[in-house]
Amino acid sequence: MQMVKKSAFIILAVWFSVLLFMPKAELYYTLEKTLAEQDIKLNEQSINEGLFSLSIKDVTVYVKGIALAHVEELDFFTLLFYSSLEVLNLQVDEALHAKVPATTKEAVFTHSLLSPLSVSVDANGSFGTVEGQANVLDKEVRIDFVEVGNIGMIQPYLKKDEKGWFYEKSF
Amino acid sequence: MKNLFKPEMLKVLIGILTFLLVLKLVWFVVQITWLSALDIDQQEDQSSKSLYYRVKLTPNNIAAPQKVVHQTTKKIAGSIKEIKLLAIYNASDIAVVTVEYRHKSKVLGSGDIINGFTLEGAGSNFAMFSKNSKNYKVMLAKNAKSTSTSSIVKTVPTPKTRVKTKKPLGEVTNEGDIRIIDRSLLDHYADNMEEIYKNIGIAEIKKGKDLQGFKINFVRKDSPFAKLGIRRNDVVKSINGQEITSYNAAFGVYKNIKNVDNLSLVIMRGKEEMELEYEIN
Repeated sequence: MQMVKKSAFIILAVWFSVLLFMPKAELYYTLEKTLAEQDIKLNEQSINEGLFSLSIKDVTVYVKGIALAHVEELDFFTLLFYSSLEVLNLQVDEALHAKVPATTKEAVFTHSLLSPLSVSVDANGSFGTVEGQANVLDKEVRIDFVEVGNIGMIQPYLKKDEKGWFYEKSF
Repeated sequence: MKNLFKPEMLKVLIGILTFLLVLKLVWFVVQITWLSALDIDQQEDQSSKSLYYRVKLTPNNIAAPQKVVHQTTKKIAGSIKEIKLLAIYNASDIAVVTVEYRHKSKVLGSGDIINGFTLEGAGSNFAMFSKNSKNYKVMLAKNAKSTSTSSIVKTVPTPKTRVKTKKPLGEVTNEGDIRIIDRSLLDHYADNMEEIYKNIGIAEIKKGKDLQGFKINFVRKDSPFAKLGIRRNDVVKSINGQEITSYNAAFGVYKNIKNVDNLSLVIMRGKEEMELEYEIN
């Protein structure tokens, strides 16, 4: 029993220390560097490191030098076995309103060790409310519209079944 | 206190601290080996500026009389002349008109206010506005003929007639030295970006990693773009005084294109620099 306790303590200490000392801001800069290779740049107002999280405020998304979107807050959170990315108040440039939904109030992407090969997403905004999943094993994304808002501009990319509108794509 | 200084406890404490130090060191090595320590930010494009607008002066060189000054001050307060009537839909219970105000089309219903004028009603070829208990009659614009014949509906429109009103697309006409672009055509391409690339190919010109400008790859024959006078291999230098050396500059032009009355395109054709002028009507 002593041995089990000791092992549990060591695992807990390692797990906690890994998260504590994780260079979160540098990991974000590395993500920025990877995106920059695709001509996508993120300009942010502030980066705040937490114990298990990283919060980035007022992010402007540039694609090929064009400011296409603004995000009020990006929150990364990880416990290693469970991670999430929360996107708050995403506003797309007016020029793109005819092509993509204008606002996303909240979008939450989550990954859990219970299903390690998939990422799930829940979002709501001017398009309504959506729930979806990206599966790495099946190489497929499916997003279901739980509540339908203004989807006129994206309707050509959507399909409809008995449950309602959904978006499906293989990658 | 006694327990803390026990050799076993000290050993454990030193062990934990060593472990934390090793872990921190591991992260440090990971950080300097694989991770980026620098924040990559997009530099704001300082070169971009708002589009300039060409203003047509009077054909003669005589200075404008002082009265004109009075007229302009009146305009600021809101002149009926700023409202151009484009189309009328007149039913028994409601009048709906399409007007152009400050280069933007607006649809008004009875009682709606524009530039301080309230829409009271409409006839077959005019709309009646009121302001300060005075009535103003605005006649249907003459140059709206081509579109208005399809958009003026005297009876209650069926869905079919409504579809028809959206259809007509203007074209580029050549009138002497200047080419005239129909605004509906311009608006159509501004709203349907993908249609642009069906008719014209635009490629980047790069020097190393830096973008230098844009080159015309192809222009589809008989397309409105061919009528603009641009050809394959032309290099776009500037549009309305805005140098096109970045995507941001090009996007800026695209965003403002609906608000311009004139277009001036500077291109390089071979070694020759050319300026192409267009009027938007």
